[in-house]
Formats: sequence, structure tokens, C-alpha cells
Amino acid sequence: MAQMMYRDAVLQTLFAEMERDENVVVLGEDIVGGMGTAGGPEAIGGIWSTSVGLFDKFGKDRVIDTPISESAIVGAAAGLALAGKRPVAELMFADFIGVSLDQIWNQIGKFRYMFGGKTTCPAVIRMAYGAGFNAAAQHSQSVYALLTAMPGIKVVTPSTPADVKGLLTQAIRDDDPVIFMEHKALYGTMGEVPDGDYAIPFGHARLCRAGQDVTIVTLGLMVGFCEAVADKLATEGIGCDVIDLRTTSPMDEEAILDSVEITGRLVVVDESPPRCSLASDIAGLVTTKAFASLKAPPALVTTPHTPIPFARELESNYLPSPDKIEAAIRQTLAWR
Amino acid sequence: MANIRAFTMPKWGIEMTEGTVAEWMLKEGDAFVRGDTLCLIETDKITNDVDAEFDSVLRKVVAPMGEALPVGTLLAVFADADADDAAIDAFVGAFKAPNTAVAAGAGKTPAPAPAAPPRIIETNRPISPEALRLAQELDIDLAHVEGTGRNGRITYQDVQQASRPEARPVLLGPLDLDDAPEKHYGSPLARRLAAMHGIDLGTVKGTGARGRIRKADVLALVPQPAAARVGAPFTPGENRPRIAPMDKIRKVVARRLTEAATTIPHIYLRASVKVDDLLAMRKTANLVLGVKASINDYLVRAAAVALARHPDINIQVHGEAIHHFPHADIAIAVATERGLVTPIVRGADQMRIDQIATATSALIAKAQTGKLAYADVDGGTFSISNLGMFGLDAFDAIINPPQGAILAVGAVMRALAEENDGEIRFESRLALTLSCDHRAIDGAAGARFMATLKGLIEAPEGLFE
Amino acid sequence: MQLSREALLRAYRQMKVIREFEERLHVEIMTGEIAGFTHLYCGQEAVAVGVCEHLDHADMIVSTHRGHGHCIAKGCDVKGMMKEIWGSREGICKGKGGSMHIADIDVGMLGANGIVGAGSPIGVGAALSAKIDGNGKVAITFSGDGACNQGTTFEAMNMAVVTKAPCIFLYENNKYSEHTGVSYSVGTNKDIASRAEAFGMKIWRGDGTDFFSVHDTMRDVLEYVRAGNGPAAVEFDTERFFGHFEGDPQRYRGKGELDHIRENRDALKIFRARVTEADLLSGADLDAIDAEVMTLIDEAVAEARLAERPTAADVLTDVYISY
Repeated sequence: MAQMMYRDAVLQTLFAEMERDENVVVLGEDIVGGMGTAGGPEAIGGIWSTSVGLFDKFGKDRVIDTPISESAIVGAAAGLALAGKRPVAELMFADFIGVSLDQIWNQIGKFRYMFGGKTTCPAVIRMAYGAGFNAAAQHSQSVYALLTAMPGIKVVTPSTPADVKGLLTQAIRDDDPVIFMEHKALYGTMGEVPDGDYAIPFGHARLCRAGQDVTIVTLGLMVGFCEAVADKLATEGIGCDVIDLRTTSPMDEEAILDSVEITGRLVVVDESPPRCSLASDIAGLVTTKAFASLKAPPALVTTPHTPIPFARELESNYLPSPDKIEAAIRQTLAWR
Repeated sequence: MANIRAFTMPKWGIEMTEGTVAEWMLKEGDAFVRGDTLCLIETDKITNDVDAEFDSVLRKVVAPMGEALPVGTLLAVFADADADDAAIDAFVGAFKAPNTAVAAGAGKTPAPAPAAPPRIIETNRPISPEALRLAQELDIDLAHVEGTGRNGRITYQDVQQASRPEARPVLLGPLDLDDAPEKHYGSPLARRLAAMHGIDLGTVKGTGARGRIRKADVLALVPQPAAARVGAPFTPGENRPRIAPMDKIRKVVARRLTEAATTIPHIYLRASVKVDDLLAMRKTANLVLGVKASINDYLVRAAAVALARHPDINIQVHGEAIHHFPHADIAIAVATERGLVTPIVRGADQMRIDQIATATSALIAKAQTGKLAYADVDGGTFSISNLGMFGLDAFDAIINPPQGAILAVGAVMRALAEENDGEIRFESRLALTLSCDHRAIDGAAGARFMATLKGLIEAPEGLFE
Repeated sequence: MQLSREALLRAYRQMKVIREFEERLHVEIMTGEIAGFTHLYCGQEAVAVGVCEHLDHADMIVSTHRGHGHCIAKGCDVKGMMKEIWGSREGICKGKGGSMHIADIDVGMLGANGIVGAGSPIGVGAALSAKIDGNGKVAITFSGDGACNQGTTFEAMNMAVVTKAPCIFLYENNKYSEHTGVSYSVGTNKDIASRAEAFGMKIWRGDGTDFFSVHDTMRDVLEYVRAGNGPAAVEFDTERFFGHFEGDPQRYRGKGELDHIRENRDALKIFRARVTEADLLSGADLDAIDAEVMTLIDEAVAEARLAERPTAADVLTDVYISY
């Protein structure tokens, strides 16, 4: 086990997979950086420093620095994948799915089905998502609900460096198209990362805290918030199962339902707006498939139904916080 | 002597609580003799003459005519003609009506107050029409209700919640987590169960999506107690007796029960206990513990804990000596094809639920196959006989000597009951009868034991301590 | 004329198959038996065949909603296509794609596409794959004059130039983007190829109703791109014999326009005249092919009618490889 930052887990996994399989290629704007400048290539290595050194090691054919052309980036990944490569495209910000959405949901998500199951499109689209750095409305969104709603693609949201390695390895080796969402507030977090070959199967949630009174389902940055709240409540004898979904498509329904069967109480913590959201999806899942186990209505901790504000005071009020999470847990326990 | 006497509203029959003087036949100052009609009094049933029982003079009429007055109210004062007015006034002033209230009156619905119109709630807070109607009906103060609807609108659910007593959830608490990196992929519950039963996940074949190990895959590898036998269906046939001598077990049972029934003075203490929480907790606990503990196993555990707290029940009676035991060896009555047997769960007060479940299932399996050893049935400090599976409401058992007491358990019945919040709801109840050997156990001692047992069953978290 | 007799016979046969496939669909669709949208390629046969006769299965093409001709020219199974359009589970895409989504990766056909302009970036990606492999193969994106106005086209052109992808942006200018004339919808100088020129690409133009013009042009284009010079663009002037989709009343057409182009701009008539006048093939050679193709199409329709229908369970398959 090595201590490693989340961003380095991305880089090292890309490095290892490119070494392992020469069909793995990466592309995206500024993933090399410095092209056409006096500074020369590798001036940046990706704005998240997640591709530093790849260009030097693997060359320009497999490390393709692109113009700012999100449709073309995702479309080129689609073409590479159809032609037998395993492209890993980077979109910088998840918010930019807007300018590449057709290629994601009308193209890569549907090829296999439209073409009668005879094609594979093993493309990975990496993107940084999430709020917390005052990046405002167009650079902070958590768009996993939109993407999860699209059949044909898989959506991955690692919350730890270890999960970055395990899930990115799986994403690159997976034969289906995968959206790989990296939380920008987690890039600098440290954690133990298993050595050697390490792939985590999709649809396998991680139980971060175990308890028998409340089930908390969450993902990404919110995992840490929920763990802190669970630890605090444990001192009062309140036991929380904290479930990190890891992947929202496929989703580990079993882990959620098994847990609610015991606790009878559900809190979903999701840093995106509440309507047609992951939170409402999970509440729907539990009320349709574990209705009899529920002792209280599910509590949903989400952002308000607004764009993401800029100012510090506004953004901190916008996001779910440990206080809001704790209040929601207590609300389910106080149900009469 | 002026011979001043009070004339009060008479009480004609137990139901009469008040009456009305309809008419005086005399006026103040008139003398009367025994047998004269004094006045007419009306009750809600009759109008009756009041005749004089002695000779005297109507000196003062105190109560007005035509007004309903309680029994015992001073109506008038009789006195000899020579009594002075001041003395009579003093008498009236000092008069105290006796307490004539009847117990039945306590439960009497007070006269329906003129139907109060439902309170109209004026509020400028956003509230759904149905929520407002409910708040008015239940007289809920909206000032203290938080609106959870869009833009803080008060919903029906908000009002309903405000009308209910505060929740007191039963907490089961946190668990330790194995955070070693996963080598084999199972659902969190499957991993927990595997760890609990010492099963290596690597040996489990997953049947979930992508070969993942599910709860059921692990549970399939947990040794299960033998399945309960199913009674043979009734098939009518010739009704000729087959004469069989009693076998050894039957002879012992017959002898012991005869002896117990004829020589032990039994007292029976009956109680009904609420088991909803036990049933709910059993589901969860069984899942977590990975056992199939029966209701009876939980009752064995409850009785064992109660016996530990009431050593005066955990006894054997030998002639004129009472043997007290430090631990509870609980005999469970098992009906087998060969007859009733009572194998013993030894040291039940020291065992966890899962250990009891394992022990009883082993004993029941041995009993059903006739493999019980003498050591399995010898002794015992207490017995439980559960015929609940036959759907009996309740029954009384004969003590299994030399034990001092036996608990008879009926079936779980659904019954309507008034809850603490005044609501009427269905709840699950179980009838228990404790038969005590009155030579050694007093009624009060048995009753205290039963109170503890009831408490343990109704608040079952104590069974896990 | 450097083509062998066999190559000429083959080229004519391919064009004839496309022509009769589409003419027959035009008739069958009127009966209502075929579901959904169908866009016919009639009139543009010389382009698809003139291009694909240069390609093998390792070269890749990305097609459009008007893709039947590209599929046939690239080697997709004609009977499987007919079954697909009929919605049979025996169809080339099991009845899940239909007319607009026919693909066969094995022959280098990366898919027709219902989204106008979506194919261009995909072609760049496919070309980059060939570039990585260094195998001299190319990817060709067929687009119409409508797709040339989509933003994806310009993103893809720029990226192809930047990455030197062996990609060919091929424009079939049939004068109509859906129901709107090219003289209206294409701004600037009413010319598509010159737009590519602005990105720094070398461009070619040719007559898309003349197989020989297309074939000769593509020989040069392919030689240039296969040599590692990066992307290129080519525009062929061609005709659309039918409406945008089947059922289109075509009120935008001029009086006698369709008769005129059928008479003077018919790729098959032009081919027949050229090869018979030059004495390369005889009328009887071509008539024999005509008869053979009519039989093929009759069989394809008859088989499609009888082919197995998909089941409710088929709805759920082929979404993911594993989920």
C-alpha cells in the first residue's frame, strides 16, 4: 500500500494502463499543454495535473492534445473506440458535457444497441465535477444524474485515491463506454492505494461506516462529510451505515436495500439539485422495493433547486454540510 | 327544646340525584300533623307527595319552587312554634348538605356543551387545505409546526406529525467495520454475515450481478437448524383401538404428571404481553446474527434473564427442602411422536440468543429422532411449554417436578388496544401463564417474576445485554 | 480509363443494387408496411460506389441518415439490410437500428447516423486509430450540404488538421439540406470545399453523377491522405431523386426539375453511355446485371417479409456488454 493523492492515482493508473495495453490512448485539451508555445509540450500535463509525463513516455500518437472542441473530443473518442482503441478522453469540467452531449448520449451511449449488439465502444470520458471552490455556475456542477439517466453508458464517481485506481483501471478495461467523474475538491486528498493490479468491479458500493439505525447513501465529496457525521453520532449510540455508491450506473441497489431492511431509515446525500436527481432516484428505489422496512420517510439532503452561486457565503449555504446531514438523520429518527 | 329540623330534598331510589319542589301544600307558619301532605316533588321519573312523618310547624321555606335541586339540599325548616326566628336563621346558616354524589356519576358524560364549532384557524402561512382542515379538527397550534412543503408550505403530513407524541426510537447502534481491501466482491451485508460465521468469501460462489456475492449466497453456507416437522394430515379410517402398552417415556410422563397434579398445590398467574417490538427486533437481529432464532428461543432467553433476577423462582422442591440454583437450566417441552419430552437448555442465563437457538434446534432434532440422552432431560430449574404454534390463546401447564414453576405460552394474537397516545391500534399480544408450586413460591413472588418477564419481552433490547 | 472489365462490371452492379434497393423501398414504403423514417440515396450512387471501390474493409467510413448507398457500396449484406429496414431480428442490427442506424464494423462501416453532422468527429477518431497503427488506412466521413453547417464539422476539421489525422471529409452536395436549398443555407461563397480549405486542408471537387469523375478524383485524394499528409476534403456535385424522407411532398422542387435530373443527371445512364460508347462493356452485359439485381432485390424483399420478428425480450439486450 502506498500513500498517494487522488490526482496522482489518476495519473499513475493512466500510466500503468497505457503501459499494459498499447490500445489505450488519451486525448483532450491541454492534457499535454504547451503545444505551439515557446515553453513547448508538457508545460502543463492537464489542468488537473493528471497526465503529467504521459506525452514524453508514450508520444503524440497516443497522447493527443486537442483544440477546445468538446464535441470533437468525445466524437474522436467514439471513433477511436469503434476502430478498436481504448480512448480516455478528458473534458476538463463536467459542465462541458453541454457542448458535447450529442456525442455522449446519441452516439457512444447508443452505438451498441442501435447496431444490434455487434459493436463495442470502450471509451472513457474523464471529467472533473463538483462544487466547493467558488467556480460558480458553469464550472461546479455534479451532472451524474443527467448521465446516469442515459442507458448505454456507465457512470463512475470515486471518492478515495484507492477507488480512483480500482475504478479507473476497471473503466479503461471495461468494454462499455464509461463516464469517469473526478471530484475537483478531492484531487488533493491523500489515501492508501493498493499496490499492483487493482480493479474494482462496477456496481459494487463501498460500506464506509457500519451501523444499524440509519442508512446513508452518498458519493464523491459527500462521503467524507457523511463519515464525519456518522462518527459523531456513533458516540451517542446512533449507528449509521454509510454507503459510498462508487458507481451510479450500474448502481448497487442490493447494498442500499439490504441496509434499509435493517435500519428502516434512509438519508441520501447528493450535492446536486433535488429534482429528477440521484437522491430522488434512490428514494424511489427504496420506497418501491423496501416500503415495508421503512420506519420513516426517506430524507434527502441535496442542494436547492438553483444554479451554483459564486460567493463563498452563497456556495457554502448551497452545498450540503455536515450540519444539514446530521439534521436529516435526526429528522428520520424523530419521525412519529 | 325548639326541636328545629331540616327538610331536605329526599332520595327516592339509587338513581335519584336531584328533584324539584313542584308545589308547597302549606305556607310558612302552618302547623301540620303526621300524615299531612307537605309538598309535591318531581323527579325525572315521577311526581310524588311528601307526607309529614311527625307533627311540627313549617317555619321557613328555603328553596325556591320549580328549580331542580340536588338530593340533600335544604328545602325548608320545621320547628315548634315557640322557636325564635333567630335560632331558625342560625340553623339555616349552619346547614351543610351531606355528600350525596354517586360513583356512577363520575363517568357520566357531562351534559353536552353546546356543540362548539370547530376552531377556525386564521393563518397567513402557506398551508394545504387538507392540512388546515386536519389542524382545525385536531386543534393543532400551527405556530409550532414547521412546513416541509415547497416554500415552507405546511403539509398534511406536517400537521399529522405535530399531533403525535415525540418519537422514542430503539437504537441498535454502530458496528465495527472491516476496512481491509476487498479481495472478493460481496454486498456489505454478505461480507458482514461471512465474517460473523467465519466463512471465507473466497469460497462463496456469487449469484449476483457480475458474479457478486449476495446475502443469500452466504446464508446458504450457514448451517441451518433442522426444519420443523410438519404434522401428518388427518385421514379418517376405522376407529378400532390399537392397544399399546405405555413405553418408558410415556410411563414416566404419566407418573410425574399425576404426581404433580395431585400433590402440588398449583397457583396460576396469567399475563398478556405485547410482542410487536420483539417480533420486529427478531427479524433484524436474526438477519444480523445470521441465525433463525424462533420466538420460543427469545422467550427462553427472556425467562433465563428473569430467573437470574428472581432466584426465588429458579428452584426445585424436594420434600420439605427448597433447592436454589445459581443458573437457569430451562426445560423446553417438545411434543414428539413418542410423547412429551422436556430437554434442557443448560445455563440459559449465560447464553446469547444465537447460542440458545443453536442449542434448542439441536435438542429438538434429537427429541424428534428419539436420540435424547438421560443427561439431556435430567434436572432443570424451570420449564417452558409453548403451544402457540397450535394457535391456542392461552393454557395452564402442570408443573414438571421437582421444578418449582412452568411457563405456558400461547399464540401471538392480534388485538385492538389503546396506545399511550390514546390511539386505538392493532398490536400483537402473547398470553403467558406461570404455574407455581405454592408450597415454595408465593403468589407475590411469582407475580414479580412475571412483571420482569413482561418488561423484558415488551422492551426486548434488554435481551441483548 | 484504367479499370478492368471486372472492375467496371462490379462498379455498375453496385450502383444498380443501390438504385433498385431504393426504388423498391420507395414503392414498398407507400404501402405502409415499413415503419419509421427512410431517406433514399437514389441519384447519388456514383459517389458511394466511386469512393468505396478504392477501399477495403480496413478503411473506415462514417455515414449519414441517407446511408443505404454507403452501406451497400462498403460491402454490407444487402439482404440483411433489407431485413433491418423491415425491422426483423434477422436484420443486420437485429431490428434495433432500422434504416438510419445501419452499421457493420467488420466491413469498416462505422454506422449511418441520425444526427446531422455527428459523424465528422467520429471519423477523425477512426482516422487517429489508423494513424496510431500506421497502417496507411483512412477514415472517410460522408456528409451532405446540410451537415457542413453544423459546428461539429468545423471542430472535426480543425482537430483533424491539428492532429494530422488521415481523414477525408467528403461532401455530397445534392443541393438540398432537407427542404432548403443550398444556395440559401450555405453562406459565404456558396461553396463547401472552400470552407475546408480555410482550415488548411487540400481540397478536390468532382461530378457526383459520374462514376469516373468520382473514382478518378478519389484516387488522387486517397493517395494524398494515405501518404501521411493529414486530412483532405472533397466535394461532389450530385442529385437527390427523391424527397428528404419518404413521404416528402417536395413542394420545393421546380417544375420539371425531377424529370430533368432523371433524364440528364442519372449516374447509371451516364455510366451506361460512357462504357458502351467507349466499347468497354456491351448493353447486353449491363442488361444481364440489371436482371440479376432485380432478382436479388425481389429475393431480399421476399425474405425480409418472412424473416423472424423481434420479441419483447430483445428490447433488453445489447445495451451493455455487462451491467
